[in-house]
Formats: sequence, C-alpha cells, structure tokens
Amino acid sequence: MAPRGRRLSSISLEILLFLNGWYSATYFLLELFVFMYKGLLLPYPTANLVLDLVMLFLYLGIEIIRLFFATKGNLCQRMMPLAISLAMTFPSAMMAFYYLLLQTYVLRLEAVMSTILLLFCGLELVLEVITLTTFSRILRPY
Amino acid sequence: MGRISGLVPSRFLTLLAHLVIVITIFWTRDNNIQASLPPHFTSEEYEKEDSKLVTALSITLGLFLVELAGFFSGVSMFNSTQSLFSIGVHCCAAVSLAFFIFESWECSTYWCIFAFCSVLPACTEVMMFIAVFVLKKKSF
Repeated sequence: MAPRGRRLSSISLEILLFLNGWYSATYFLLELFVFMYKGLLLPYPTANLVLDLVMLFLYLGIEIIRLFFATKGNLCQRMMPLAISLAMTFPSAMMAFYYLLLQTYVLRLEAVMSTILLLFCGLELVLEVITLTTFSRILRPY
Repeated sequence: MGRISGLVPSRFLTLLAHLVIVITIFWTRDNNIQASLPPHFTSEEYEKEDSKLVTALSITLGLFLVELAGFFSGVSMFNSTQSLFSIGVHCCAAVSLAFFIFESWECSTYWCIFAFCSVLPACTEVMMFIAVFVLKKKSF
C-alpha cells in the first residue's frame, strides 16, 4: 500500500463506482423486461422500439467502459483513465436523460430509475473532477 | 470481515427497490385513497385521507435518509447483522408495497407496512450510530 501521504485515491468515488456497477446491471435487466412489457402492451411503431433497444445495449457498453476506466484510474492514481471516464460520463448521462424524457413511452418506474442514474452520474462527475485536481496537484502529470 | 461480500450490493439494491416503490406510490396514491373512502365521499374527506398518506410517505422518505446516511458513511456498511436485517425487511416492504399498489389496498395497511419495514431498520441504524460514535465500538 502507498504510504499515508501518497494515498490519494478517493474512497467515496470508489464506493459510488462499485454501487453504480451493480445498479447499472439491475437497470439494464429491468429495462429489458420493461421493453418486453411495453412492446406487448403498447402500440409501438417498430422503428421506435428497435431504436430504444439498440440504445439500451449501447448504454450497457458505454457504462461498462466508463466504470472500468474510472476504478482503474482512481485506484492506480493515474489521470488518463480517469479523464477518459469523465468524458464518457456525458454520453452516459445523456442516455439516462433520453430514457427519462425523450423516449416514446415512459413508465413511472423508468422515470424514477433514470433519475437515480442521473444522480449517480452527477455525483461521480463532481468526485472525479475533485480527484483529478488532487492527482494533478501532487503527482507528476501522465 | 475484511473483504467485500455480496451483502453490501444486495443491501443497497433492496434499499433502492423500496425507495423506488415509495416514490411511485407518491405518484399513484389516488387509487389507494379512494379504496379507503366510502363509495360517495366529499372532497374534504379525500383531502384528509390524502394528507394522512402523504405524511406517512414523507416520514418514510426521512427514515430512508437516516438509513442511507448510515450505509454510505460506513457506520453499518460492513456489519453483517444490520445488513441481513435490512435486506430482509426492505425485501418484505418492496413486495408488500407492490401488492399495495396493484391490489389498491386501503391506506391503513400502509401504516402497518411502514411501522414494520421503515421504522425498525431506522431504529437499528440509529443504534449503530450510537454504538460507533458514542460508545466507540468498531463493528468489523
């Protein structure tokens, strides 16, 4: 373990990222079932349903990469992975915003879950910026 | 225990499930209020029932904040007993509240669910807070 003065990783960020991973997995599974439910029950133009489903899988990919880079950057105290993860927070947040407001049909359940996802993204954004400034002040820039 | 087990994510997810259903009930409480009133009711009776249910839901949210504060600050995150109890109780709450919404139960049943599934874990959480901050007992 790094000595006291050199341990710069943010533990709050680590907790948030760990829980965000589990929450995103749950969100993905839930959305799959919700799309099955909506596809059967509501009158969907086929193109819209396909678009929403494709966005869901894209979201899964982006989220996995984002969380992976964020934990690696935070724990190894490197700035580049953390910066990549910061950049990927924006498409992630836009996806959650799409599922909250711009979808064809939005269920109440989806609205609540997407809001919680946006909260996660917002908190991680703030913590990542703080961690990046901590790293850049004390470590040599990589 | 010195390692991350499955208890931490399970506890977080069941807590969140309960929270999501409580927020949904805020939105869809019309059915439940009409289920607790006689077939012909005045708007004052409706307002009274509505304010009672909103009070119960708001107190539930407040107790959620207590429990989430205890969880995120690390006070009870790694305590197996509190985690198991919390998981069990919030699971029961999520299932009963799902029935509450779909079967349009009356508002008095919400108070039972609230007492058992929101007050109890908040009380044990407060006891954890006291144990850690006042009695200085590290519980892992």
